[in-house]
This record gives sequence, structure tokens and C-alpha cells, in this order.
Amino acid sequence: MYKRKNQSSPQGETARILVEFMEVAITSIVFLKGVYSPGAFERRRYMNVVAHKARHPQLRDYIHHSLTGLLPSIEKGLVERVAVVFFNKENIPLERFVFKLTVNQAYDSEVEKTDLEFSLKSFLTKLSVSESLTKVLPKDCRWQIMSYFHSLPQFNASTGVESWIPTDIQQWQQPPLITPIKSMSSEPLGVQLYMEHPSLSGSQL
Amino acid sequence: MAVKNQKLHEQFDAAASTTFQGELSSGKPIFHGVSIFVDGFTIPSSQELRGYMLKHGGRFENYFSRHRVTHIICSNLPDSKIKNLRSFSAGLPVLKPTWVLDSVAANKLLSWHSYQLDQIATETQGQPKLSAFFPLKRSPFSCNYATNAIGQPLSKIEDQTPKLDAVVTNNSFGEGETRKETEQCDVLSDIQLKVDSAVNKNSYGESQFLEEITHANIETDIPLNESLIKAKDEEIGCNDVKLCEPSTSEPGDATSDSILAENELKFISPGEPSTSHSTYSTDKHNISESSNSRIVMSSSHSTLEDPNFVENYFKHSRLHFIGTWRNRYRKLFPATYSGTKGTNSSLHTRLTDEQATVIHVDMDCFFVSVVIRNNPELQNKPVAVCHSDNPRGTAEISSANYPARAYGVRAGIFVRDAKSMCPDLVIVPYNFEAYEEVADQFYGILHKHCNKVQAVSCDEAFLDVSDSKIEDHQCLASIIRKEVFDTTGCKASVGIAGNMLMARLATRNAKPDGQCYIPADKVEEYLNELPIKALPGIGHVLEDKLKRREVKTCKQLRLISKESLQKEFGLKTGDMLWNYSRGIDNRSVGAFQESKSIGAEVNWGVRFNNLEHCQYFLLNLCKEVSLRLQGAGVQGRTFTLKVKKRKTDAGDPVKYMGCGDCENLSHSLTVPMATDDVDGLHRIAIKLFDLFHIDVKEIRGMGLQVSKLENADSGHQGNQKNFLRSWLISASSTNRDQCEVKSIAEGKNQNADGNLGQQSCTNMIVGSDILSSEGHVNRDSVLPPLCDLDMGVIENLPPDVFSELNNRYSGKLISFMSKRKGKLAESNIGGMGTSVPSVVPLRPCKAEKTCRYICFVCSEIFACFFLIKQSTVKEVSVTAASGMVAGNNGSSFSRNIDVMPYSLSQIDVSVLHQLPEEMKAEFLELLPAHRKQECNSDPVPAESCPQQSSDSEYTHNLSGSRGSISANEYWLGNPPKWVENFKMSSCLVLNIFADNYYKSGSAGKLSSILQRARSNFVPSLGLTPDGLDDAILCLCNLFKQYIEVKIETDIEEIYLCFRLLKRLSKKSTFFLEAYNVILPEIQSISNNLSIEALKLKFEEIFQNQAPRAS
Repeated sequence: MYKRKNQSSPQGETARILVEFMEVAITSIVFLKGVYSPGAFERRRYMNVVAHKARHPQLRDYIHHSLTGLLPSIEKGLVERVAVVFFNKENIPLERFVFKLTVNQAYDSEVEKTDLEFSLKSFLTKLSVSESLTKVLPKDCRWQIMSYFHSLPQFNASTGVESWIPTDIQQWQQPPLITPIKSMSSEPLGVQLYMEHPSLSGSQL
Repeated sequence: MAVKNQKLHEQFDAAASTTFQGELSSGKPIFHGVSIFVDGFTIPSSQELRGYMLKHGGRFENYFSRHRVTHIICSNLPDSKIKNLRSFSAGLPVLKPTWVLDSVAANKLLSWHSYQLDQIATETQGQPKLSAFFPLKRSPFSCNYATNAIGQPLSKIEDQTPKLDAVVTNNSFGEGETRKETEQCDVLSDIQLKVDSAVNKNSYGESQFLEEITHANIETDIPLNESLIKAKDEEIGCNDVKLCEPSTSEPGDATSDSILAENELKFISPGEPSTSHSTYSTDKHNISESSNSRIVMSSSHSTLEDPNFVENYFKHSRLHFIGTWRNRYRKLFPATYSGTKGTNSSLHTRLTDEQATVIHVDMDCFFVSVVIRNNPELQNKPVAVCHSDNPRGTAEISSANYPARAYGVRAGIFVRDAKSMCPDLVIVPYNFEAYEEVADQFYGILHKHCNKVQAVSCDEAFLDVSDSKIEDHQCLASIIRKEVFDTTGCKASVGIAGNMLMARLATRNAKPDGQCYIPADKVEEYLNELPIKALPGIGHVLEDKLKRREVKTCKQLRLISKESLQKEFGLKTGDMLWNYSRGIDNRSVGAFQESKSIGAEVNWGVRFNNLEHCQYFLLNLCKEVSLRLQGAGVQGRTFTLKVKKRKTDAGDPVKYMGCGDCENLSHSLTVPMATDDVDGLHRIAIKLFDLFHIDVKEIRGMGLQVSKLENADSGHQGNQKNFLRSWLISASSTNRDQCEVKSIAEGKNQNADGNLGQQSCTNMIVGSDILSSEGHVNRDSVLPPLCDLDMGVIENLPPDVFSELNNRYSGKLISFMSKRKGKLAESNIGGMGTSVPSVVPLRPCKAEKTCRYICFVCSEIFACFFLIKQSTVKEVSVTAASGMVAGNNGSSFSRNIDVMPYSLSQIDVSVLHQLPEEMKAEFLELLPAHRKQECNSDPVPAESCPQQSSDSEYTHNLSGSRGSISANEYWLGNPPKWVENFKMSSCLVLNIFADNYYKSGSAGKLSSILQRARSNFVPSLGLTPDGLDDAILCLCNLFKQYIEVKIETDIEEIYLCFRLLKRLSKKSTFFLEAYNVILPEIQSISNNLSIEALKLKFEEIFQNQAPRAS
């Protein structure tokens, strides 16, 4: 799907696989939530499971560039979480899909690509049947990709985060309710995907 | 089409005006307002019917229309229309043409109810489905509905009723607190009162009736099979509401005699013409009804939740009585049983002893005569026993007495047939208590006269009187018969001959109330004319086969060579035929055949509406089977689920609620581990049931059979969970008096003799007798004289436990204790010598008189005591203890390996560590080899000061302070630390957790362990409150630390664990408590954790958890 440079470090390899996977997964989430009309997507096979690919170039590019921009940081293990946030007009988040990433920096042997892909595949499978767990969103809601860094990243060309800006989306005051979707932990990559909803008790802000 | 119809109407009207004779001035014509539609072929033909309609002011429709037609006339309907009656008839009455004719003849419009088409009428009168026996709760809808109705003020119902064209009897509303439940029922019947839901009845008490108002649809007057769904639509549903009341309040009812409680419920339907035919009895399953109505009357507060169909079914089943009677007999006469164990095989040949004499005793029509033994006025009248005496008469006669037999009444025929043969026939119900009593008396007499008794059934036995003191066997037989009659009031017949076969045949001739002796030289003569069918083992099939060969008597059978018989009928059968035809029978008296399989089957009254009913029924069936297995003291490995499926072309069964024509399907499954546990059975049964892929509505019978039986003795520790409970329960359930308690004092001797111990086991209070009755302790080992121990134990029980126990004895315990006190010390010391091998009572001379038992018997009871005693352990003089143990023990340990625990997990660690080194070494050596490793990995340093270190560590592990959470110590290492800790715990559940860790493979995920815990679930822990708290704490810590380990990497796993824990918490209060403790803690942890606000969806879990009273 994407061109791959020959990279020596296992982290780089892992990060590339991960980014590619997240691109597909995020597209699937957006499709799942029905923010855009189904016509904006086309069915594709990825890792031999049905996935959706954005047809609209803007959407496709947004997802693609956001994530490839993260690649260097992920490789260095700076990114803690990547979240897909759905929010309403008041910028109050309604639902969040969170990828919690752990890239083992100490790992230095060969990455078993097939194993990794096999594990990641199960995320997509699980995601496709998770619609019932999600909330119905209001019509005029929007979404964005957010990433959480362990430390504030350096905004320079080398890190590739230049396209990233601080978010204006508000945070929930109450701890959210978490619904796990899928987790994997293997070497050198651990990924957890879960949903967050505003807690029942607390107010939205 | 409309035009055509219009034209037809015009034609009809024109014809009517010419033919209409104008009923003169007598008012309206007969069929005024009636408009019929004739469907298919009828007699008289549709044209004739049209003529009647013309003449009498009715209308006749050539084409069916929902709006114009009022009645459908037809003689026959195809199946498809019957099945889909609603869409066919649009809810209109479907009547036979005779309705028209009869109405004309009667010159008035007759109520059509009795003219309903037979096909429909049978269905609507309907055989109530099994669902009717279940509480409303079972169906989610009717539950809602019931609550609605309850919430509704009664007046509201009353207000509605007139509108709804209902007939409400005053009495029904007479009581203010009368509770009514409405249920949409799939019966046309306008009303049905169900006395069967014992549930509500009991909870509302005596004065309150339970009434169920059945809504039927007057508009359609058809069975609303799907009405459960539709019922929400009250507009349709409540058109015809009627109430009725239990027949108990109907003095005028002829059938309300004592049997009335059993099944007769008459509906009252005064006045309303359209419903005047609705009076019929509910014809319920008489069994559940009888018991339930009894409940109403006596207002006994027993089963609150349970419809108890299965239980009641078996409670009232004769076959079940006979089947389970065997277990009872075994318990009552264990000596005979065990004494003849060696001669188990029926093929076992005995050296033919010419002198042998066998007596076959058989009670005359046992099931009848027992019931009427106290009713002299019935003695010479024809009487039959039957479970039901309802007017339908489709119940089967189970047994008839001789006067009745003279009329041709036999077992197995329908009551109605029997009554037609013998109009005076009196039908009596079963009386199982009496049967039991008489059977016991009967066998008591037999055992008195003869020591070789083989029980065949509750009323039939063989005696080997070859070496009897009384030479004259005829005389002996007379004595026995007389004694049986004097004691029980029932007659017995006796056959005497040289072997069992001939004795049995002789009894044939002896009956009724006689005896017959066939001496050896008369055998041949006797057999000559004997029809082959009389020989045991020859049934219809064999008889037919032989008849085809022109063999009718034994004489003819003897002409066939053994070889040719064997060739044709197989080796065994051929051999049997050859032998029997010559009067040869090599079986010896005393063989009591072990049952090869145990099971329960219900094929009467089984009707399901949905899967839920079915599953529920299955659960009850499993309970029954489990009880039977436990009763027989066996566990099985192979499980067979049999299902009777209605044949597609089978109509309603002749026998009321019977199974009818069925296909028999079965699936079976063999598991590696024998079980008798309800839960296990249920799981297996569900699995098997799923294999059938069957529509539950088609099921007419189900049976669960367990084979590959193993003695529960060799079973596993899993069963010991019940010890404490059974100990307390059995203490309470059997009533004891002083004399029986005395037998405990003498129990020492009895215990030494395993058999006797068994015999008196029901009388024993505590300990080994109960253990042995449950079959957990190897009977070969010398049972410890716990009678001595018990007193000591009881004496030292914590006050609350003691008082509880005392309550169970209704206070006798205290007085008994005080009496015994003097002797106690003596007996304790006396007991010690013999009891050492398994139980070592230690009596340190302490001021508070602490009595401490080091018990190596793997018994939960003692484990509990250790926990209780935890606080006093320190005070026990270790040296004193060890000295005594060492002194007494020595060599005896090795002899009694079988009393050693299976695993270290059953030993109190603290006790172990208080033992001196040499003892400990010896003890560990005796453990099974594979367990040794676990011993070595014992985290507690063995060489350290036993008292301090072990105790402190132990308690530390148990109570695991909250501060230790951050240490994550439980999940360090491989295997993680908790595994060892849990293994050492005295809590069975924790032990299981530890065991499961190994079983679940190397991954060691908590979820898989929980999953396993769920599958081999332990309902009872047998723990004291202290132990329980500790165990819960342990579990909580395990969870907390697990979450900390996993929260960074695998929330899914945590989530899964909590789901599982929640499910477990529904099963047991232990997990519920643990769950409730863990939940808030987890939330606080996750709030404080570094990752931002990772709070799992626990609220949701929590909300789903219905709080249960513990």
C-alpha cells in the first residue's frame, strides 16, 4: 500500500507498520461513525480483512499526513496515545477512540512482521463489530485526530510534527468511561484500543 | 369483484324475499344478523345451507369477507389452515354445519360453542403447556404484565370488566387483599385459574387467593399461540375477562372431595350465553396441582420460587419410587448388601445344591393394598391406584386389586376404559409414605427370618432358606405371610421351590394370598404346560419369534437343542431359554445388581413455549439427576440426553398430556472427570441439548442418563466443600432424641465397623459418619472415633457456632453436654489411643482449656476450626503438642496414608510449621510424590522459628494489608507469588484458583483462571466469617495488583476479568462480597493512577448487578 524504505532499526519498522495500520483503523472508525456518507469510502482488503479507504482526497490526505507526520515521534517512542475525537459544535468531545501505544525502545532484534500484522488484524476485525458499543452522534459533529506526547515535541522539520498544532478541543472534567475494544501486547509493540465516553455522573465539562 | 359480490347479494336478497316465510309474528328470524360463509365440502351442501339461510333470515356469502361474514361453516380443514387459523378465519368462529341444522330444528339460534370444528376445539380446549406450570416470571413478558396488573387497583379491573363482556363472580373480588394476576394465555378458554403457581401463593399467605385472569380473545375465539407477543395490545387481549375461583370455595361442586385438591377446578360462567360452554376443568397436571393445592390449604411455606415441576413429577411417580427405593433399601440393610457384594454377577453360578430352597415373597397388589389397608370398607371392592382421577379418564391405572382385576381392570389401561368395565371402580391416589413404611416393615420381617435376602423390588424378594432353622419351608412361609399380614395389613403370596426361577413361577400359582410349593420332582410336570411367556425374560419379541416356530409351552421349547437356540437367539438368551425351559436357574440369592446408569426422564406433561422454559426444565432435571447420583453415592462420566420429539404427523396424544407418537433422539458425551454436581451436569446437558437443533415446541419428553459410574469414594476433594454444610444440615434435619445421641457415645464401636457406622449414619451428629455417608473417606481405613472428638470439638466451638448447633438440637445439646462432661475427659483419653492415626487430639493444659486438634484428615470442618483457632494457636504449647504427636504417631503414620491429605493446600500452614522438624519431614514424605514439589516451594522458610515467622507471614498473606498494593508482590515471579499463597490458603476457592493457574497454561491470565473457576464452580466454601473475610481480602489484592500490572498494557483483559467476576458474583455470595469490595477500590486506584483517568466502565457493571441479600 505504501512505499517502504529499508530501515534498519526495528522501531522504525514497527512504527511504519503501526502507522499504516492506524491509517486504516482510523478510516474505519470514521466510516463506522458515519460522519461522512458511505459513498466517501470504498471497500478494500487490508491484511486480508475488509477495511475502508477514504475516496475523498482531502479526507484521505488528512488522515495520511497526520499519521505519517507522527511517524518519527512514534519511532522514538514519544507518542503515548493517538485519539480520534468526535466533538460537537461547542468543541465538547462526545466520543473518543484512543490508541494507546507502547513501543519498546530497547528492543533490537528482528521484527516479525507477520506476527505483528496478525495481531493488528484482530483490531480491525473487532472494530468492525464494535458499532453497537459506540454512541450515536449528533448530526453536526466533527472529528479530529489528536496525539498525546510524553513530552512536548520540538516543532522542527526533523521530527515531522510541524503539521501538528495544539488542540482547542476541551477536556472532560470527570474521568471518562472506558470501553476496551482490543488490546495487544507483544514485543516490540503494545497497542490498546479503547473508547472513552463522558462519565455518566459528571457534567460534560 | 365488488360488482360481482354486489350482484350476488342482490340475487340473494331477491331469492330471500321469495323464499322467506317470514317467521310470522314470532319476532326476528332465527339467523337474523348471521352471515355464513361455507368453506369446502359440507353435509348438507353449501346450497342447502344457503337455503336455510334464505329461509331463516340469515345471509350467505359466496366469498369470504372479514366484514360481512359472521360465522364460517365447514366440516374439515386442511392442516395448513388449522395451523394458521387466524389468517384463515380472521378470528371468526369456525363451525360445523350441524349448528345450522340444529338451530333450525330448535327454532332458535343456538350457541355455537359446542359446534366448533373438532380440529379446532381440541386445540383450543388445549392441553395446557408445561409453561403453565412455571411461574409467570419465567416469561419476560408476562412478568411485566403481571406487575402492571398488580399495580392496577382492583377497581380498575372491575371497571373494565363490564365493558369487556366479562363475567365476574362476586367472590373473586370479595377479599380486599385478593391478589390478581392477569396472564395472557394461549387457551381459548375464557378463564383459567391456575393453582399451580405456588410461588405467589405462598408469599401472599393463606387468605389470599392467587387468581389469574386469563384473557382470551372473544373476537377471534381461537387459541392465541402467539398471544404472548400480542398480548401487549390490550385492546385485543382483554375482550373477554372472566374470573373464577378455586373450587375450594365451591361447596356445591360434586367433585370437590378430598381428591379435589388434586385437580378439579370448575369454571363458573353464569349467564352469559356466549360463554356458557366454557365450564370445564383445568385438567392440570394433577401432580403439580395436588401438591400445590395442598400448599394452598396448609399454607406451608416451602418452595417460594420454584414451580418444581420436575421435583413434583418425581415425587409423584411410582416408577421413580420403585427406582429410588433401592437406595433406601441399601442404606437400611447394608449388611446384606455388602455381604453379598462378592456374588454380584447374575451369571455367577453356584454349585447346584439339591437341598437348596428358595422362597419368593411377593406382596399382593402392593400399591393398592397398602393404600386401602386401613380402609376395611374398601377391602372387597374393586380399587385401582392411579395418579389422577379426573373425568377425562386418560390417566393410566397403575395397579388394581383382585376384585377389580376380576372385571378385567389391569395396570396400564386408561381410567375411562377401566370405569366402563367396572363402573364401581374406586380410584385411589398413591401414598408414597405408606409404601415406604410397609416396604420397610416387609423387609424387616424377611430379614428377621432369613439372612439371605435378595430384594427385587419394594414388594418382592427372594429368600434363600436352605440353611434355615425351620425345616419345614412351607411352615416358614406361612409364618412369614402371617407376620407380614399382621404387621402391615397387606397380604403376601409365597412361592417355594429349588431355585429362584421356580420359586417365582410358584408364586404365580400362589396368588392371591396363598403359597405354592413346587418340589424338585414336580418341576418338569409343572413346566410342561407352562406357556413360554410366563418365563421371566421372555417378552413380546421373543414370544413372537418362538411362536413362529410353533413353540408355545415349555415342553415344546425343550425339544429344541441348546445349540440351535443359541444360534437363533444369541449365546446368552439361548442359554437362558434352554435352562429355563428345564427349570434350571443357577443364580444365587443375594445378588443385588449394581445399577450401571442413573438418570431421570420425564415424558409426561412436557410442553415448552420457548427456549427459556426448556432450559429451566433442563436445570431441574439436572438437579434431580444430581440428587439421585448423590443418593447412590456415585458419579458418572458419560451423559446421555434423550429427547422425545413429536412426530410431525402425530396428533394430540391419547393420554392426557402424554408424549404421544414420538421420535426418540439422543446425544451423549463422555467427560474425563466423573461428576455429580448440578452445575456440571447442567453445563453438559445444555451442551448436549444444543446438539439437537430442535424446536422446543416439539419436545414431548426429556431424559438425562448418567453412566460410566464411579464410586464417589474415589472422588475428589471438590466434594468436601459440602462438609460443613452437610454437617450442620444433617444435624438439623434428622430429629434426634436423647437415645439417639447416646448412640453417639457408643459410636466408637460402630465406627470401627464400617457397615454399622453406615447404618447409623443418619443418627450421627458430626464428623466421620457423615463423611462416610457421603462417601468421601475411604471406608477401608479406620474411621476415627469422632464421637469422642465431637464432644471436644463442640465444647470448644466458638460460642456462636455452638449456640447455632444447640439450636439445631433444640437445646438438648447443652444438657447432654453437661451430663457427658464428667465422662468426657475419660473418653477423650480413651479415644486418643485409637484415634491417633488419623486424628490427634491434643489437650494442652491451659487455663482456658483450649482444645486443639491437629487433623490431617482432609476435611473442611477441621480446616475451619483451624481458622477459628487461629488466635489461640499461639497459646498452644507447641512442645506439648509435638511431644504427643511424636509419641503417639511414630509408625502409625505409614499405615494410614490414605487419610493423608491429597495436597498441601489442605493443610493449615501454621500447623505444619508448628510441628517439630522430624515430624514435618515424615509428614512431607508421606505426601504423594507429585505434591512434594509444592511443599519445597513453600515460601515460608521452614527452618525459621516456627511460631513467629509462620504465623506472622501467614496472617500477613491472608489479610494482606492495603499498603501492600503498590508492591505488586502477587504477580511477581513465575509462577506468580499469589499462586503459592492461595495454595496455602484454607479457602477452597483460593485453592482452586491456584490449581487453575497451572491448568490454564503458561499465560497465567487471570481471566482464564476466572473462566475456569466459573466452570468448576464451588457453591459452598464452608468457611467461617473470619476465613471468608480473609479470603475476600486475598482475592481483592489479587485483583488490585493484577489491574496495576495490566492497566498499562491490556485493559481488555481487566475488563474481561471483571465481567467474569461479576458473573461469578451472581452465583455465590463469596464472589459477590469480593466484587463489592473490589469495585470501589479499583475505581479509586484507577483514578489515582498516572495514566489519566483510566476508569473502566465499572459503573455499568455495577448497575447491572442486582444486589442480592446474602
